[in-house]
Amino acid sequence: MSTQTESPSIALDYVKTIGIVNNGFNGRGFANPYDIVVDGGGRIFVLNRCDPLRASAIRVGVCTLDEEYLNEFGRGNGAGDGQFVWPVAMAVDSQNRLHITDEYNHRVTLYSMSGDYLYHWGTAGSGNGELSGPAGIAIDASDNVFVVDQHNARVQKFSADGKFITTWGSFGQGDGQFNLPWGAAVDGEGNVYVADWRNDRIQKFTNDGEFLAVYGETGGGEGQFQRPTGVAVDSDGFIYVADWGNERVQVLGPDGSFRLILRGEATVSKWAEDYFASNPEEKAERDISNLIPTLPGHLNTPYHVSSQTEPYFWGPVSVSLDREGRLYVAETNRHRFQVYQKR
Amino acid sequence: MTSNDTALMAHLLRRAGFGANRDELERYLGMGYDDAVETLLNPSDPANIPDDLIRRYHVEQSELRDLPGSAAYWMYRMISTTCPSEEKIALFWHGLFATGYTKLNQARALLDQVDMFRRSGLGSFEVLLLELSRDPAMMLWLDNNENHRDSMNENFGRELLELFSMGIGNYTEDDVKACARAFTGWTLGNAEYMAVRAFKDSIWPYGRIAWHFEYREDDHDDGEKTFLGETGNFNGEEIIAIIVKQESTARFLATRLFQFFGADEVTEAGEKVIDEMMATYFSSGYQIRDMLRTLFHSGFFKSDEARFARVKGPVEMVVGAIRMSGNYQTPFLGIENVSRTMLYMGQGLLQPPTVEGWHEGVEWIDSGALVERVNFAAKELSNVSSPGVRSIIERLAASSEDGVLAPSDLADGCLDLLGPIQVSEETRSILVDYASRHGDLDLNGHQPGDEAEQQVGNMLRLVAATKEYQLA
Amino acid sequence: MTTTKREKSLIVIQLTGGNDYLNTIVPYGDGRYYDSRSTVNIPQEKVIPIDNQVGFNPSMGPIKTLWDEGHVAIINGIGYENPNRSHFRSMDIWHTAEPDAIGREGWLGRTIRDLDPQGDNVLTGINFGRGLPRAMACPGVSVTSVGDLATYGLFPDIEDEDLRMFTLEAFSKMYGGAAGRDPVMDLLSRTGQDSIHGADILRTAPAMYSSSVEYAPNALAQNVKSISQVFHADLGARILYTAHGLFDTHSGELPTHAKLLDDVAGAVGCLMDDLKEHGREDDAAILIFSEFGRRIKDNGSGSDHGSGGVAFLIGGAVEGGMYGEYPSLAEAQQLEGDLRSNNDFRSTYTGILEDWLGLDPVPIVNGQFEKMSLFQS
Repeated sequence: MSTQTESPSIALDYVKTIGIVNNGFNGRGFANPYDIVVDGGGRIFVLNRCDPLRASAIRVGVCTLDEEYLNEFGRGNGAGDGQFVWPVAMAVDSQNRLHITDEYNHRVTLYSMSGDYLYHWGTAGSGNGELSGPAGIAIDASDNVFVVDQHNARVQKFSADGKFITTWGSFGQGDGQFNLPWGAAVDGEGNVYVADWRNDRIQKFTNDGEFLAVYGETGGGEGQFQRPTGVAVDSDGFIYVADWGNERVQVLGPDGSFRLILRGEATVSKWAEDYFASNPEEKAERDISNLIPTLPGHLNTPYHVSSQTEPYFWGPVSVSLDREGRLYVAETNRHRFQVYQKR
Repeated sequence: MTSNDTALMAHLLRRAGFGANRDELERYLGMGYDDAVETLLNPSDPANIPDDLIRRYHVEQSELRDLPGSAAYWMYRMISTTCPSEEKIALFWHGLFATGYTKLNQARALLDQVDMFRRSGLGSFEVLLLELSRDPAMMLWLDNNENHRDSMNENFGRELLELFSMGIGNYTEDDVKACARAFTGWTLGNAEYMAVRAFKDSIWPYGRIAWHFEYREDDHDDGEKTFLGETGNFNGEEIIAIIVKQESTARFLATRLFQFFGADEVTEAGEKVIDEMMATYFSSGYQIRDMLRTLFHSGFFKSDEARFARVKGPVEMVVGAIRMSGNYQTPFLGIENVSRTMLYMGQGLLQPPTVEGWHEGVEWIDSGALVERVNFAAKELSNVSSPGVRSIIERLAASSEDGVLAPSDLADGCLDLLGPIQVSEETRSILVDYASRHGDLDLNGHQPGDEAEQQVGNMLRLVAATKEYQLA
Repeated sequence: MTTTKREKSLIVIQLTGGNDYLNTIVPYGDGRYYDSRSTVNIPQEKVIPIDNQVGFNPSMGPIKTLWDEGHVAIINGIGYENPNRSHFRSMDIWHTAEPDAIGREGWLGRTIRDLDPQGDNVLTGINFGRGLPRAMACPGVSVTSVGDLATYGLFPDIEDEDLRMFTLEAFSKMYGGAAGRDPVMDLLSRTGQDSIHGADILRTAPAMYSSSVEYAPNALAQNVKSISQVFHADLGARILYTAHGLFDTHSGELPTHAKLLDDVAGAVGCLMDDLKEHGREDDAAILIFSEFGRRIKDNGSGSDHGSGGVAFLIGGAVEGGMYGEYPSLAEAQQLEGDLRSNNDFRSTYTGILEDWLGLDPVPIVNGQFEKMSLFQS
């Protein structure tokens, strides 16, 4: 094997885990986090989807890498201004506005990063500019907003204020076709990447929707995906994929070649430590437990393994990047996110 | 195809499944009774709402942290599966080996137990009891994680004999102790941590951690035991092997299967069938599938005596009505409200009141439950935008040469397509009177939701409200 | 709606699963309690004392308050001979007052029959919760079972009033047929008729109710609130029943039991406050029972099925105090490791039936039992 490789290599080191389950609108913790956005100042915004019983606590929580819980905002569950029913993803524009999609209310809602509700746009339908189950959202350097329009099997491009620009895609398995697509990302050149969920692949397009490339196929091996939900691209062009169905994160090179897999290796967060400090009987039993057990044969799918193995990713719905080479993986079933640092 | 064949097939599908709409019924009729029985007893390749879709939209069913989402997850399976018999047998075992959420606070483990019922519920009873003894939810439910070599906990050992096989009077207290000793060390992985999380209902820090079986050899009492007259250094497997040999076990199993799939009350004719099923139990090597085959081919099962001889349990009532209406076949917000109705009717999935399960038969009927049952079925089947109801409307329109139905045709047609359901003369004449309010029904050129269609919906509602509809 | 003579009502709260007597009324003055309950015990300093021997579980504050007012009868060592340690069987025994055979008629079902022999008022007996307890089942006796008081009734989905009335008429005819064909059909007919009769009346109850008492959001408190609403609406409900569980604390008993007792004490406290607010505390008596107590020795994490237990009778007209004897923990007095009961539960039933409801107890409880006199004369 040649010692000189054509494209750069990548290594990711685990940094920490941040989170604890909290079903209420009352301080530190998360409830089924679905997406993360990190701003220039290092503030981490976490979108909490919440289960129906506790949907009044749908919110965005804000914390730092040092696990200081700064703020939380939202107006709870519903169709009113600032409310959500099934929030999916977030993106931030150059004016520091958070754009949040809601696949039940078929709209995009804008909040300021300090938590003020601004407005929402979008109506249900299949015409140009109309939305049916908006899921992933990505914003390029020129503030073009790309919304993954799930049930219409397309991506739509809007101005920052929701004015329709162009659209591409149709239902299917061919190039430029989609099947219930989910996450989206934009790279340094303005190319758009889409996690084509039910086609088990990532597709790459130009800023105006011209098909460029497709990566991945169905499966559990290297370079294969099982219902990828999220995608992110760093400044070197590495592609990070939230391989949800395989309960893992994969990284591809800028050429789409497989690079590495992350399974997750969560540790006790600061908030979790506080919990154990006041619940020593649980901590005592936990300390003598094997948190990475061997499982019987019938529980061998990634989903089952992760449900029993607390350090592993379970429900890794989104991958997000900051400007310091850090990767944030939001795990919806574990109410936390794990942070990795690119070496 | 005689109407007798249709009625008999509908009866089989009500028992082995949750009833059938006319399309499904015609499919099975095409196979003939014998092949239909084999198909039902050998469910394979079930198709249902896929997990990925469910988990995408329902975070609570991805995580399964709490009961409502978990019950709804099973309900999705029951209402959309192409193998209803698989779900019906799982429901039977769930009622028999009643394991409940409120003590365990662990839904994933309960659903894994239901998966085990799907996997092993029609095979050997010996294998099933073994799987049950290795089921982590059952272990914690009956405190077998607290059953140690030097400090016994008899709960599982007792219930295994009292409720899950032979029944009271067929063993002694000493047998209970021997049984409990044999199962020492049968526990779940990280038992202490899981137990403290269970009784504290702890979801911290990172949600629930699911369970798996673990055998702790160093905690097992491998000493000599005498059980039902046999002596040896028995472990759990040997105890089960002795249990399944007992006639009382055969009788217990045959009776419970008969009461769930045959008839609520055991009459003289029923006793004979139970005897036959017991014989099959032994001759087939304890195979549940074979026992059910004996039942479904018995003269009793095919006779009038068995027809509508069971009161539908709440799960059957709700799932049956939904499979008829064809609603809720894709993930939707509000599924939990639907699954909660079964709880209101007295049967909450994954939460049997105690290890003894639910009191079935007529005990499902009291005025509160009856109101819930009637209201649910009436609302479900009167909705003319449901696919199943639309299908009924089309069949009714096609059933008359000129598209016009006399009141009696409308009543009879609805009774037929919802079953066929047998009703008394009095009930039928009330249905016909009700239909006569608007005279003949002209379904020609009917449009979605128009007056003509509503009249069909109204008739379906009243049929769903009949006494006879409460029976299976 | 006013009545000149206020009839007495019995409210029953069933604690399902076997409530641990030793940790409910705690014999904290007896060292043998701490010897046997080395893990699953209530520390001395936490017990709310009744005297220097026994006291309440710390979660039972509101019951202690009522005890101090003289409204609480504690019936110690209640049970029956040859105790059965199976939930199913023992609860059935309490429900049917029939320890030696399988009874089919519940004692409260018979009570309702004797209170309303003609079946004039279908709301004479009401169960609040899912499923009907066998205690209230009796062939020919209608009992209403209410899951959710606010939404009780038939065909709520029909918006057109005309159509709804027409459909209800048809329903009424279908369920009004002559009896005698088939027991299941007959049961369905009767039940359907009762549903119609009872539903519209019951739905008025919440609207007629006003109170400053706030009930906790747990299921028991909400059911007890519904009981209060129906009781105060004077609809002729004489027996009102609800259940709470699971008291079957084989493991992890201490926190579970504490929460359950907290639910019960809170709900009963609210109910008595409500009764007092309406000036009705002398018209209702609350019976709290469980199908057995639990073993004397704990199993390291919880306790297993036992026999002798404790019951409570609470109300303004109750003669508060300790009844029966607190069973001895001395080994010679134990019953195979259990508390030996010293009074038969049917004695308590007899006292309630005769002194409170004015009925002949003998046919209801299947025999003559020494009456437990629990009420002020």
